[in-house]
Amino acid sequence: MAEEKVSRRDFLMYAMGGWAAVGVSGVLYGMYKTWEPLPEVKAQATVTFDISTVQPGEIKVVNWRGKPVFVLRRTPDMTQCKERSIKDEYTVVMGICTHLGCIPNWEADKKIWHCPCHGGEYDACGKNIFGPPPRPLDVPPFKIEGNNIVLGEEGPEYKQMKEKGLTV
Amino acid sequence: MKELKILLILIVIVLVGYWGIEPYAHSIMHGEVKHPDYEYKDIPKNIPTTGDPAKGKELFTANCASCHGLKNDGINPGMDINTAVASFKVVPPDLSNIATILDEHFLAYFIKNPQDATKNPKFAMPPMAQLSDEDVGHLIAYLKSVAKKDLDGKEITVEACGRCHSVKYQKIAVETLKDALKDYLGKVPPDLSVMGKAKEMEYLESFINNPQNGLPGTSMPRLGLTKEATEKVVTYLDNIADPHRDQRNTLGVWVLGYLVVMAGLTFAWKKKIWKNLH
Amino acid sequence: MKFMDWLDERLAVRQLIKVMLTEYYVPKNINFLWSFGVLVMLVFAILVVSGIFLLMYYKPDANLAFDSVNKTIMMDVEYGWLFRHTHAVGASIMFLVLFIHMARGIYYGSFKAPREIVWITGYILFVLMSATAFTGYLLPWGQMSYWAAQTITTLFEKIPFIGPDLVIWIRGNYIVEDATLTRFFALHVVFLPLLLIIFTAIHLYAVRIPGSNNEDGIELTKEEKKHGKGIPFWPVFMAKEFFVMSVFLIFFFYLVFYQYKFAMDPINFTPADYLQTPAHIYPEWYFLAFYEVLRGFFFSQNLGLIAFVLSMFIAAFLPWLDTSPIRSGKHRPVYKILFWIFIADFVFLTILGKLPPTGLYAWLGFVGSIVFFAFFLALPILSKIEKKKVAGGR
Repeated sequence: MAEEKVSRRDFLMYAMGGWAAVGVSGVLYGMYKTWEPLPEVKAQATVTFDISTVQPGEIKVVNWRGKPVFVLRRTPDMTQCKERSIKDEYTVVMGICTHLGCIPNWEADKKIWHCPCHGGEYDACGKNIFGPPPRPLDVPPFKIEGNNIVLGEEGPEYKQMKEKGLTV
Repeated sequence: MKELKILLILIVIVLVGYWGIEPYAHSIMHGEVKHPDYEYKDIPKNIPTTGDPAKGKELFTANCASCHGLKNDGINPGMDINTAVASFKVVPPDLSNIATILDEHFLAYFIKNPQDATKNPKFAMPPMAQLSDEDVGHLIAYLKSVAKKDLDGKEITVEACGRCHSVKYQKIAVETLKDALKDYLGKVPPDLSVMGKAKEMEYLESFINNPQNGLPGTSMPRLGLTKEATEKVVTYLDNIADPHRDQRNTLGVWVLGYLVVMAGLTFAWKKKIWKNLH
Repeated sequence: MKFMDWLDERLAVRQLIKVMLTEYYVPKNINFLWSFGVLVMLVFAILVVSGIFLLMYYKPDANLAFDSVNKTIMMDVEYGWLFRHTHAVGASIMFLVLFIHMARGIYYGSFKAPREIVWITGYILFVLMSATAFTGYLLPWGQMSYWAAQTITTLFEKIPFIGPDLVIWIRGNYIVEDATLTRFFALHVVFLPLLLIIFTAIHLYAVRIPGSNNEDGIELTKEEKKHGKGIPFWPVFMAKEFFVMSVFLIFFFYLVFYQYKFAMDPINFTPADYLQTPAHIYPEWYFLAFYEVLRGFFFSQNLGLIAFVLSMFIAAFLPWLDTSPIRSGKHRPVYKILFWIFIADFVFLTILGKLPPTGLYAWLGFVGSIVFFAFFLALPILSKIEKKKVAGGR
C-alpha cells in the first residue's frame, strides 16, 4: 500500500514537472523568436544591381547585408579569369579581406586590391597574390537576371562556381 | 464549499466593477453611434446620373481636366502638384475610379455644390455651376464607363483618404504636403496605421459616412462613399491595425488548453497530498 | 545525493530547506485568499520577464516611442504583441491581485500586532507599484499616456510655495516632453523595480517572523502548528498554491488573448499630441477610486487634493486606527458590516471615477468619498467599544 502511494505521487509529480517543462519550452521558443531579424532587415537579404551601369575599368561598391561587394568590369590589360567571372568580364567579390576582415582598396595604377591592414594583395580577379591572405576574395551568392545580378540568391552560374570550389 | 463561496463573492465584485468601468462607462461617454446613412437622404436626387459617355468625355476635357487627371483613360491633370497645392492647398484627386467609390447621386450633387455635399464650407473645389443637369448625367456616365469595378480595401483607402491621410506602417505616404494640409484643414489629419485600434469599426463607418456624426465641426469633408466602399475601407483599417489577429486567436486556444490540463494535474496532486492530512 | 552532501557542507542547504520550506508551517485554517501573496510574486515575475523583452525593442524617445511600440513591437517582432499584451494585462491584474491581497489582510486583521511591519512594508510596496504603473503608462507615448502624465504632474503645482517650480523640475520641461519620457523610463525599468525587489525581501522576511495570520485571528505557536493546526509550506501549502496559480493563469491568459482592451485603452493608439486633449481622459482602473476622491470634493480643489493624498495613504495607518483586541473580522459583527460597506464603496468610487463628473455623479462622488473616510474614522471608535466589551466579558 505505502509503496503504491509513493509511486502514484511520484507519477503525478513527474507528469506535472514534465507538463511544466512543455510550457517553459513554449515560452523559451517565443523568446527565441523575438530575437530574429525584423522584416525590414530580412528585406535586405537580397539586393538587385544592374551591372551594365558599370563602365569598363570601373569599380562599383554594392552594399549587400551591410557588407561591401565589389563589382569590377575588367579591361583586357587586367588579369583575366573566365571561371571566376560573371559574363566573362565582371569580377564580383566580397570586399572583405580573407585575412582579418579589413576592406581592401583598389589601386588603379597597379590594377590590384591592396589591404591597408597587413598589406595583402589581390589581382583583378580577386585572387590573393601577396601577403597574409589565405585565399581569394569570396564570391557572394548571386543570380543573373538579364543585366541584373541578384545578390543573396544562388543562381545556376553560382552553383557551378561553388561546385568547382571557386567561391571561397 | 466555503472557498467556493469566497470565490463567488470575488467573481461578483470583479464582474460588477468590470461592467461599471467598461461597458457602462463607455456607453455613457460615447453615447449611441449614429447609423450611417448610405442613401444620403439630405441630397436631392433630381440630377440625372446616366447619359452619353462620349459627351461626358468631352465635358470632362473641357471642364475638369485642367485640375483632375484620369489615368484609366490616359488623361493627365492640367497642372502639376505644386501649382495645384498653391491654388487649392490640396492635390485634386485623379478621377479614374471615383464612380466606383462614391454614391452616384452624391457625386452628381457634389459636382454642382461641393461645399454643401461635403458639409465643409471651405472645401477647395469650386461649384461647377456652368454645367447643366444633363451635362452632369453625361459626365457621370463617362466616369462610370472608365472606372475599375472591383477595388480592394487598400486601393479605396489610398484613393479616398490618401490625399490627406498617411498610412505610414503600410508605407502609404500622404499626397499633399503637410504644411499645405495644415493650412487647408487647420491641422494635419491623423495617420491611419492603427486607427482600427483607436476606434471601433462601427464608429469608423458612421464617421466616414458623415464626419460630422463623430466630430461635429471637423474640417474633414463628407466624401459620399458607397456602403461597399466604406465597409472595405473600415475592414482594411481594422486588418492593418491588428495583423496578428489569427495568430493570437489560435495561440490563445493552445495556451488555455495547456493551462486547463495543468490545472487538472495540479488539482490531482493537491488532492493526493491533502488526502494524507486528517 | 552526493552533490547535495557537498552543497550541504558548504551552504547548509538541508537546514535552509527545512527552515524555509518543509518545516515552515502555515496555519491550516486559511483559505485560498492566502494564496494571493504568491500570486503577486507570480505576476511580478511575469511583468519582469515580459518587460525585459519589450525593453529590447522599445525606444525611449518622444519621436520614436509610439512607433517602436505600435509598429516594431506590435507588428514586426515575432510574438512581440504577446509580450506587450502580457505586460499590459499583467500591470492591470497586478492591482486586482494586490487589492484582494490587501482586502484579505484588512478583513482578517492581518495588519495588527505583531504584523505592523508586514503591513507597512506591504503598503510601501503598493505605493511603489503604483509609481511603477504610472511611469510605465507614459512609455507608449499615446494620447492617454501623455495626458495622464500631464494632469497628474500638474497636481504637484498645488503644493504651497514650491509647487510650480517642482512641476517643471519633475517634467524637465514646461510640459510633459522628451525629458519626462526618458526619466520616467529610467524610473520604470531600473529604479522602481529595484526598490520593489528590496521591499519584497523585507516584506517576506517580516512575515516569516510572526508567521501567517489565519481566519480566526488566533495566534498559533510553532508547536501547535506542527502538531495538527498547521501544514508545512512545502509540499502541502504549495500543492494548493500550484492549483490556485494554474486557475489564475487560465483567467490571466484568457484576458491576454481575448479580453485585453480594458488594459490597452483605444485612446492610447493615437500618438501623443500636446495641443489636443482627448474628449475623455481617465486613469487606469486601479487608480479610479482615488481619482474619484480627488474629484469628489468638487466644490474645493484644495480640499480634493488633500483628500486624494489622504486616501492614498490613510490605509497605511490601519494598525494604529484599529486597536481592537479582537483580530479577525470573522469574530467582529460590526466590523464585518463596516468592511463590506467599505468594499462596496471602493467599487462604487472606481466606477464613478470613469464617469463624467457632472450633476448627480458629482454628488455621488462626494458621498462615496465621505464613506471612504468614514470607514477609517469609525475604526478607533469601534475599537474602544470592543475593548470595553472584552474587558467586561472576562
